[in-house]
Amino acid sequence: MGVYNIAIMRHRTRAWIALPAVLVSLASTTAARTVPISSHPLQVPDALNATLTAVPGIKVGHHTLTARPTGCTVVLIEAGATAGVDVRGAAPATRDTDLLQPTKMVQQVHGIALSGGSLFGLSSGDGVLRYLEEKNIGIVYGARHIPIVPGASIFDLGVGDATVRPTADCGYRAATAASSSPVVEGSVGAGAGATLGKLQGMERAMKSGVGSASLKMPDGLIVAALVVLNPLGDVIDPASGKVVAGVRTPDGKGFADARVIMRSNTPRANRGDNSTIGVVATNARLTKAQASYLAQLTDDGYSRAIWPVHTIVDGDTVFAVATGSLPGEPDLIRLGALAADVMSTAVLRAATQATGLPNLPAVRDLK
Amino acid sequence: MKRPGLTLVCAAAFSTAIAAQAPARAKAGLTAVEGIRVGHHTLSERPTGCTAILVDGDAVGGVSQRGGAPGTRETDLLDPLNMVDKVNAIVLAGGSAFGLEAATGTVRWLEEHDIGWSAGPSKVPIVPAAILFDLGVGGNPKIRPTADCGYKAAAAASTSAVQEGSVGAGAGATVGKLGGMGRAMKSGVGTASITLPSGLVVAALVAVNAVGDIIDPATGKVVAGVRNPDDTFADARAILRSGVNAARPRAGENTTIGLVATNAKLTKPQAARMALMADDGYARAISPAHTNGDGDTVFSLATGRWDGTADISVIGALAAEAMADAIVRAATQATGAAGIPAARDLKK
Repeated sequence: MGVYNIAIMRHRTRAWIALPAVLVSLASTTAARTVPISSHPLQVPDALNATLTAVPGIKVGHHTLTARPTGCTVVLIEAGATAGVDVRGAAPATRDTDLLQPTKMVQQVHGIALSGGSLFGLSSGDGVLRYLEEKNIGIVYGARHIPIVPGASIFDLGVGDATVRPTADCGYRAATAASSSPVVEGSVGAGAGATLGKLQGMERAMKSGVGSASLKMPDGLIVAALVVLNPLGDVIDPASGKVVAGVRTPDGKGFADARVIMRSNTPRANRGDNSTIGVVATNARLTKAQASYLAQLTDDGYSRAIWPVHTIVDGDTVFAVATGSLPGEPDLIRLGALAADVMSTAVLRAATQATGLPNLPAVRDLK
Repeated sequence: MKRPGLTLVCAAAFSTAIAAQAPARAKAGLTAVEGIRVGHHTLSERPTGCTAILVDGDAVGGVSQRGGAPGTRETDLLDPLNMVDKVNAIVLAGGSAFGLEAATGTVRWLEEHDIGWSAGPSKVPIVPAAILFDLGVGGNPKIRPTADCGYKAAAAASTSAVQEGSVGAGAGATVGKLGGMGRAMKSGVGTASITLPSGLVVAALVAVNAVGDIIDPATGKVVAGVRNPDDTFADARAILRSGVNAARPRAGENTTIGLVATNAKLTKPQAARMALMADDGYARAISPAHTNGDGDTVFSLATGRWDGTADISVIGALAAEAMADAIVRAATQATGAAGIPAARDLKK
């Protein structure tokens, strides 16, 4: 697509000047939380961390570019975690997903790199590898450490100057900024350029971003999700069936409802500027096959909260990481159901916590 | 699912041609797709049976298999990498792995009618199949659908409106088993279709036998599922979040199997995408879906009889909608059996 919107967005550049400053300040809040949390003025008690970092051993960092809204989000599991992946969209941009198949040798990952910038953005993973290698984290190979960092990217090249993309430097900075503080949500990191509700084109779409959620059960099981929400489709609250964000009506003020549009005779589902990518994490002890299965079940959270989903122009991908600090045999039915639940919640938060751009409002701008 | 525009276009157009089956909505189900015939055979000894879906001529097929405990045949053949790109029939059956035998009977019926993949002098009927686990319902688990069941279902297949409820492959189907079988509900077969003004038809048929509850995605409310002692719904979503250990569903009690069909012309990879997207209907209308106690499987069929063009993402999205609607109907059209009540038996 690109050409038309790039032209529009260049025209809008001036209006953005204030916005990147906000984004950078949000991102740097994350970075600043490397001081002991007890002495930090923004401390959040562990019980109130309702984000991916509620799982002990998981760190998250964003880096948002200033040149245009795009960036990367890095999940670090420095002690290693069993991982799996589910790629259900038809237009994926991923790296190191083959090694996550249960039949392949490598058993642990040390990070997940999510980014904007379409497949160009996959190079942000290079920076995460460099960061982890410098810290001697990875699979031990003689005197070396080989960090395992699968990744995925969303297509956001239509939002502003398409030549500005997250690079290895972005991944390195996001890894450096990573902390166990509650994840900063909204239009930051890999979600800085994310949009949704594109079934009638970018003119009636809405701004999206990063969302995160967690569930903690009385027996100590923690299941948490983080998502970079950039679908063709609308966002639906599964608890009510109502549209939360999506294609706007021609006057720009209400929702047209993709489900209604799709039943008319004029759907346009051929745009390529999409993909929802995310991570589900748990402290349960899983085998690699069980982690793959967890990723699949988490994908049901996409199905419930995004409509339509897994289209030919979405590269929808879910990574699952299991740190294994909770002893005992996992109840896979409960774990999978909670993972789908928590992913739906993360999707809703990505929509509601986003910040709008000119002509690309977020949910909070419609009220 | 009471969204405007659903299935009613066809229902109105064909309302004078309703067949004799009692609860059927004329052409508002799978047979709204021209060239698709559906037949049930229900055993009399125990609530179980099979459902055969026959294609006049043939159709491009696909499959999505996501549950953790599947029972299937000829699904590898549907992989887009593999040679055969036409399907003559799909068989859905109760009876656990034993029920796969039903497909053998459908293959025999098709061979007798000289229908199949041309392989030299012979015709090889291509009949993928999937089963659901209903051995614990209503009596002797040794009573299972056999090849005879598949043969009779194929012989009974017609283009009439599909009979829904506790028949055929759904005769022994149940849902809402997170609190054990004692709090479960009866389910069955449901079907739904969507017809666009352009002439595109997308339809679904499903035999719902899930561990999970049935949710109406239009409202988020439970339609059928785990019951409380006063016959209100406990809500599986609440049970799973409560931290109380839910009863572990037993292997041999679950699995939702179904198919979506369209009159559009699809390639084999597109048919696979249609099945994958139809599976989103399972995720929306069943909670939890795809568990490791479910063998959830969705087939897809594209007859190619419609000359128009439609984006595969549109077809897939509508397939998910039709499937979710069919699942809700499987719950609402069911009849109680073997002491297990259906949605219509509960006081509102």
